[in-house]
Amino acid sequence: MGKKNNVTASGIEIRKKSLGLRIWNHRGYYIMFLPVLIFLLIFNYWPMLGVRYALYDYKPVGEPVFVGLKHFTKMFSTDAFWTAFKNTLELSIIKLFLSTFASVIVSIFLNEMGNLFAKKTLQTIIYLPHFMSWAVVASIFSLFLSPSSTGMVNGLLKDWGIVAKDGMGIYFLADENYWRPIYYVINLWKDTGWGTIIFLATLSGINPELYEAGDIDGATRLQKMRYITLPALANTIITVLILNLAKVMNLFESVFVLYNNAVYSVADVCATYIYRQTFAMALPNYGYSTAVGLFRSLVGCVLVIVCNWASKKTRGRGII
Amino acid sequence: MAEAAVYRKPKKKIKMFDVINYIVFILLGLIIIVPMWKVLSDSFNAVGVYQFRIWPDKFSVDGYKTIIETQALYRPFINSVVTTILGALLGLVLSTLGGYVLIQFEMPGRSLFAGMLLFTMIFSGGMIPEYLVMKELGLVNNMWILVFKHGINVYNIVLMRNFFEGIPSSLYEAAKIDGCSPMGIFFRIVLPLSKAALASIGLMFAVTVWNDYSTVKIYITDNDQVNFQYKLRNMIMDGDTPTTAYKVSQNTLFNAGIICAILPFMMLYPFLQQYFVKGVNIGAVKE
Repeated sequence: MGKKNNVTASGIEIRKKSLGLRIWNHRGYYIMFLPVLIFLLIFNYWPMLGVRYALYDYKPVGEPVFVGLKHFTKMFSTDAFWTAFKNTLELSIIKLFLSTFASVIVSIFLNEMGNLFAKKTLQTIIYLPHFMSWAVVASIFSLFLSPSSTGMVNGLLKDWGIVAKDGMGIYFLADENYWRPIYYVINLWKDTGWGTIIFLATLSGINPELYEAGDIDGATRLQKMRYITLPALANTIITVLILNLAKVMNLFESVFVLYNNAVYSVADVCATYIYRQTFAMALPNYGYSTAVGLFRSLVGCVLVIVCNWASKKTRGRGII
Repeated sequence: MAEAAVYRKPKKKIKMFDVINYIVFILLGLIIIVPMWKVLSDSFNAVGVYQFRIWPDKFSVDGYKTIIETQALYRPFINSVVTTILGALLGLVLSTLGGYVLIQFEMPGRSLFAGMLLFTMIFSGGMIPEYLVMKELGLVNNMWILVFKHGINVYNIVLMRNFFEGIPSSLYEAAKIDGCSPMGIFFRIVLPLSKAALASIGLMFAVTVWNDYSTVKIYITDNDQVNFQYKLRNMIMDGDTPTTAYKVSQNTLFNAGIICAILPFMMLYPFLQQYFVKGVNIGAVKE
């Protein structure tokens, strides 16, 4: 923003307007941005100041007391914290790869569907679960998996003789061995369809001449899918993976509605750990939960920056 | 050439592929539909069964009657409706204003504003500092938090920005020359051209607010302020049943509750699907 005036190609000098004048000319826009700014400051920036409590002992009663790095030492020596941290990474990364893979496969085969009506109907159906809340999805599946007399899965297992007929049935969601697979399946059920949108948009942009060329060369349907469709998706796949890798620390609601105290070892994630340390305690120490939250934000921050860098490397533009 | 005359489309193979493709997709469709259909049919079934039924054994609407007559569910439903409408409106206002200001490239401070918005995608205060701020604002135990908390959505602001950038700048120039103020341009030119984008974004906000469970769980303990999602999950998964006087089996009541929670958007969905998809694709264009 130097004082230099711009000179066009034909040598005409364009005087840059003074800053004050430019601000005055844009006064209408500042007024329009004001509501956004107010919300941004109150709901996003004010809480950021609160991260200082990570260095304080702060209880619901009494004043905050400065304690330095005490909470961080405690956090790093707590097993439950490391379990939560590890689970966050494992659950979200496995979930991300599973659902991206499923969405790519579904969209490639959906793209092969000749009948437009069938394609549209199917799209309508597979997008549906995305609009159900996690609370509803958790409720639906907990009813299916419940060990009570109306639980579908246990009922069928009993019919097929896999579980003893007069037995208790399996409490799937409270079993460490079953919780994770169930979690992944529910995620696939809910979001695979929605994930195809972005891939289908890319596929609709493929030049049809490529397929014609494939026909001329005598490529089979599968060969065309393998050598034309899939490579066309490569960029989009990388984009989706990078965008979502940046968000792995955000994992919260889907776990929050499905987990329970029997499966903490495989299901507890950072956000749910923070929740319990604060709201399930008789006398919580906000300082400690803020410290865990700060650690989570910082790891998330590093991930975003790394993914941004990776995105710039692979596709020439960042994610933010 | 002789070869060209002999060439025939490999018909049989294509057919085989199509058949398999359709079978796989019918199965996929069933996997998605069956759980939902079971909920629907169970919600009308007076007796609780575990088997999948296309049609209820004993048809009855008592499940829904119980839901409607239960005072404890009445209030959460109203709360959900009110917060969803207001939340979507607030989100729309802030996203369109934010997006519109972000395309004023001549405006001093524009990049500062953009940076402030984007920074929130990299770093946030976290759950507890946010809680303490909301407490300060009196939004703890207050359903209005559902409206305010989702107001700023940077992703949606960027979507609007991208959409506005696609409007030909000659339109802006012409209006400016005719003496139209920034507000005038916004209301008379930008908004009327953006109906599809507004619908998409408004719907996204509405779905977010309607579906929000964790905000309620964190911030609200007062039974009069909770929303329907929260009440429903507590009823089904935590055994917090609102009524002891069942007319129907517990299973029927639960499934009827689930249907009530998804009904508003499921009814609108066939008409609005294109807007939802458009919303994703406005973002995808820029990606």
